Amino acid sequence: MITETLSNEHAHCDNLFAQAESDVANGQWEKAARGVADFVKAMGQHFSAEEQILFPAFEQRTGQTAGPTQVMRFEHQQMRQLFAQMQQGLAQQDSSEYLGISETLLMLMRQHNAKEEQILYPMSDRVLGNEASAILAQMEQSKQGV
Amino acid sequence: MNTANLALQQTPPISVPFRFFLTAPLFGVLASVLLVWRGVELFSSRWNVDLLALTHLVVLGVICMVMMGAVLQLIPILMGVPIPHSRWVSTVLHLFLTLGTLALACGFLEMLPPPLHCVAHPLKEVSAAQLESVWLFKSAILLLGLSFVMFLGVAGYCLIQVTVHNPISWAMQLAFMSLAVTVTIGLMLGATFSNTWMVSWSPVMLTQWHLTWGLVGWVSVLVMGVAYQVVPMFQITPQYPLKVRTWLVPILFLSLIGWAIFYGLANLNQWSFSWSQLVEGVLGIGLSVFAITTLFLQSRRLRKLPDLTLNYWRVGMVCLLMAVGWRFTGILWPAVTTQPVYEIILGILFIAGFVLSVIQGMLYKIIPFLVWLHLQNRQLDVLKAVRLVKLPNMKQVFSERWARRQFWLYLFGLALLLATPIGLPGIVQIAGVVWFCSFLLLGYNLYSALWLYLSVSRQMVAST
Repeated sequence: MITETLSNEHAHCDNLFAQAESDVANGQWEKAARGVADFVKAMGQHFSAEEQILFPAFEQRTGQTAGPTQVMRFEHQQMRQLFAQMQQGLAQQDSSEYLGISETLLMLMRQHNAKEEQILYPMSDRVLGNEASAILAQMEQSKQGV
Repeated sequence: MNTANLALQQTPPISVPFRFFLTAPLFGVLASVLLVWRGVELFSSRWNVDLLALTHLVVLGVICMVMMGAVLQLIPILMGVPIPHSRWVSTVLHLFLTLGTLALACGFLEMLPPPLHCVAHPLKEVSAAQLESVWLFKSAILLLGLSFVMFLGVAGYCLIQVTVHNPISWAMQLAFMSLAVTVTIGLMLGATFSNTWMVSWSPVMLTQWHLTWGLVGWVSVLVMGVAYQVVPMFQITPQYPLKVRTWLVPILFLSLIGWAIFYGLANLNQWSFSWSQLVEGVLGIGLSVFAITTLFLQSRRLRKLPDLTLNYWRVGMVCLLMAVGWRFTGILWPAVTTQPVYEIILGILFIAGFVLSVIQGMLYKIIPFLVWLHLQNRQLDVLKAVRLVKLPNMKQVFSERWARRQFWLYLFGLALLLATPIGLPGIVQIAGVVWFCSFLLLGYNLYSALWLYLSVSRQMVAST
């Protein structure tokens, strides 16, 4: 349940990412600016919901605070830095800078997503059991508030 | 809490995969030199000992070299299990694989060429190897044996601890089993060549088993497992269909077992060869399904930017389809297979066309990412006070223009090799020179990534 829902969120963010990148490559800066903003917003909401709701629930159930969730938090931090650099490239309308950063972000993001989709989410589904749907609802709610 | 350190515990040190990746182009250069040196003679028969030396330089020195490095990198990331003592393990694995490959290639080169009358089945004749090559084969058996046994031991130890299984971990397990079969048969053949242990089975049958388990069971299955992960990742394509991910690799593996049994029985004159050829058909269809699915997914990619890795993978998939088509031609019209060039072309399409392309494509993505990742991890490691420097992004790790030139050189060399049957004088030597340049350029690109990593690392600590 968690695996499916959150993997779909990843796919949605991937779509936004690819659209923004192709707009930059085509020099459509205005469209790209809107696209990047949408992408960064969607990623930010996804990260916050994980960090504030899913990860603590997982840590509470497993007793692991220094395990996989900590690595995921660290990678979120790395990605947030890249978002900032990407937005800088966008503001300066420097496409080679933007595309270099976006290539780096893509690799980091996709391998991060793979770890979550293949390891962390299935583990969460297993340890959280019946609570999973309540947690997903809370995560959805937290996004409305942002 | 030092989270950077935690992330680093999962990611092995950059030196672990890099030593393998940076050695591979050097073996490519050696193989190219052999191509220039021995020229068209190499292709007189697939049993030509010089060609066996060339094949092992490429398959062990380039292909297995990169695959070992990639597996040591991927297991912790994709399965969440760290490699125990990764630095120490990779040092020993790398050293033994490098020396073992050199010993094996020299062993083949030192063998006397088989007498002309038995060109069709020379392995039967050359098994009584002369003195110089005997100790080379013995060293190769020892070094390669130790390297692969240790690699399989470490990989097996990690996979046992995997709690959440997925198609990639299944593919890896079956690939490792196939590697175990390949290595066992390879060691038996090596023992025969060094007069250590005369196996009573036909060396021709053992060789067919060895190369089929190696190229289909180990190399192709691992490529598939990795492709399920990286093809959607690099270009944002849809996922491989669940049915393909779940069933293709197990079907290939079971077919491989069936093929080995049927082929063995046919060699003992128990059954007709048509049974093993029928299963070969299944293997061919399986590999084609993989290639076609990959090409289809790539055509539906969301990311439309020009990409060298994509070019390399497309060449690889087309060559895989051509190799399968070529094998089917041989099964349907057996007269074609009597020409020595038939099997040579099959080998070029599969090894040089399919596997080498895919591997080079992977290197061009993994290496810049690892350079960036490790620099970034160093910078975020709060325990080590480092100076903040602007990190190079993935596109700044090496020159894209040179990487593209390397791709075209490689493609040109491949086309020349495939054109060998036309019989133009010196074509193999020209192909050798082109590939020499291509591997040299690949090496230049990869080593410039290493220099960049080292120079940025130095800048980080310079003023602390």
